Amino acid sequence: MTSFLTAFFSGTAQGAIYALVSLGLVLVWRGAGVVNFAQMGQAMFTTYIASQMIQNNYSYWTAFVVALICGAALGALVDLGLMRPLTSRKNSKLLNSQSMRTTIPVIASLGILGVLKSLAGIFWAGEERGFPSPVAPNAIKIGETNLAITGFDLFVIGAVFITLVLTTIFFTKTGMGLAMRASALNPEVTRLSGIKVGSVRTLGWAISGTASSLAGLLVTPRTNLSPNTLDLLLIVGFTAAVVGGLSSLMGSVLGGFILGYVISFVNVYSAPENVFIAILVFLLLALFIRPQGILGSKEVRRV
Amino acid sequence: MSKGIKPVRLKYTVIGRRSTLLSIALFILFILLSNQFDAYNQSQLANIATLLIAVFSITLLTGASGQISLGQGAIMAVGGYGSALLVTRLGLSMWLAFILAIFISALFGLFLGLAAARLSGPYLAGTTLVMALAIPSIAVRFESFFSGDVGLSVDYGVPPTWLSNLVGEISIEQWSLYVVLPFTAIALFAVLNLSNTRTGRTWRAVRDNEVSAALSGINIARTKVIVFVCASGLAGLAGALYGFRGLVAPSVYPTDLSLTLLTAAVIGGLRSIGGAIFGTFVIVFLPDIIEKITANIEIPETIGNYLPSLTIGILLLLTVILNPRGAAGALEHARHRRKH
Repeated sequence: MTSFLTAFFSGTAQGAIYALVSLGLVLVWRGAGVVNFAQMGQAMFTTYIASQMIQNNYSYWTAFVVALICGAALGALVDLGLMRPLTSRKNSKLLNSQSMRTTIPVIASLGILGVLKSLAGIFWAGEERGFPSPVAPNAIKIGETNLAITGFDLFVIGAVFITLVLTTIFFTKTGMGLAMRASALNPEVTRLSGIKVGSVRTLGWAISGTASSLAGLLVTPRTNLSPNTLDLLLIVGFTAAVVGGLSSLMGSVLGGFILGYVISFVNVYSAPENVFIAILVFLLLALFIRPQGILGSKEVRRV
Repeated sequence: MSKGIKPVRLKYTVIGRRSTLLSIALFILFILLSNQFDAYNQSQLANIATLLIAVFSITLLTGASGQISLGQGAIMAVGGYGSALLVTRLGLSMWLAFILAIFISALFGLFLGLAAARLSGPYLAGTTLVMALAIPSIAVRFESFFSGDVGLSVDYGVPPTWLSNLVGEISIEQWSLYVVLPFTAIALFAVLNLSNTRTGRTWRAVRDNEVSAALSGINIARTKVIVFVCASGLAGLAGALYGFRGLVAPSVYPTDLSLTLLTAAVIGGLRSIGGAIFGTFVIVFLPDIIEKITANIEIPETIGNYLPSLTIGILLLLTVILNPRGAAGALEHARHRRKH
């Protein structure tokens, strides 16, 4: 029973982080039709910035906010500097080919990932370092008994919950959120009704950058920070996005939590070295059984 | 016999001659180069010859048929483990193991292709990336069979005496090149022929527009599976040759290997076989060149360590932004402009 509770609570906390990553991927995919493989590279970079600030005696929360802002800026920069010129280019013979239009942005995002990793290596020497958490990572006690949940788990779940609520309000209650949903659904019609689709798309990249930056800040107290730490998070986030349906925001969050439980239960009841295989099997099962995802609809699947 | 109709001379007989000549030319070029090089650069040359086969698999997969794979390194691992197990457990000859590695990884590619036929673009990229991480971890999971992180030690052995008698003393580095090079030449021959025949044209049709390809009577799913089988066979062969440099272990086939191969193909030009050769030379020799340039300049060690990967990353980005068709595309463009 104890191991079940441990797996359940750590699954919830991990799943919350995966949900953020997956949400970031889906936001960009819906807006720009690109899966951003550099996303967690961006998050790694902003987490290093936060870590540097904390070393220079800034408070955790200042570093936290600066990292989120840097995440947004980096996301917008990737879109403005690379993806927008790339996808808007019409005269290239290579990009006339259907399959290449989706392949080239993927390669471009891998290039960004490589550059960010090397830069992090150059600036911060690339060795693994710890990252502080604002709350003690000890188990919460009631009287004498240890609960299976730590204070840090609660902090993670709380932070993600607030983010998800804010995102939901943004998408359902604000004009900008509506514009974003509209331009994901039909860019042409949205443009004709006077909305700057390009700017809306860049905003999507910025929000995605912020979400993944937050995921980086939340995961590194547990995993430590190095240029490669967050690679696994991208893989899991991608799987979560596919499981939930690459085009559905709700689905991506749901997929994140499902993956959190899958990985956590494999970790507790099986062995940690089975995790990668479990992810691959789960991804293949999802693709074969329900390729449009749990909440995705068949028509919008761009396959 | 009717006089009027002459049988049309099939084009691919001519192509066959050209690709034979090119393959032999590549073989001779590498041998000549290796005679000029010292031992270290000879082993680098053997590396190029090995990785070239894997880059060819990307030229087929992404360049010719438009399917992206971020997991070619994992397929190399399949070929590597297949051949290493055949040699260490069953005592097969190395050469036979290399050839069987092609079939083992092609069979793997068949399963992968069946999955991939349903996917495209980012779905395929993500799935193959997950695979690139998961496959090497299988070796750790089933440690008793694959001997885990330690890996299997295998090597090219020693050069046979008849060859030493023929060409004189052969160093280990030269021998590794002599083992790999015939396979590279055959792979080049196969890839050149494939891209110029009906099969290659079918692949390009699927790449450029699936709907119109389907309307021309091409079975899209079957074509994609065939591409994956061919590309996986090549990658598996490369993986076997790569592992026999000394060790077959998860650390030999990391995720970065898959990305490096893709980078080589993109820098050189995804659609060009000459570009693949150029790109492979770049990624293997660039770190050495950078080291030589920076040897005279005082720079901190951390920068020196990451400078090659930074340069390769920037090269990849510049290629994608300025000329997605890579070095080969730029060359063609320049030639085209001079004509007019």
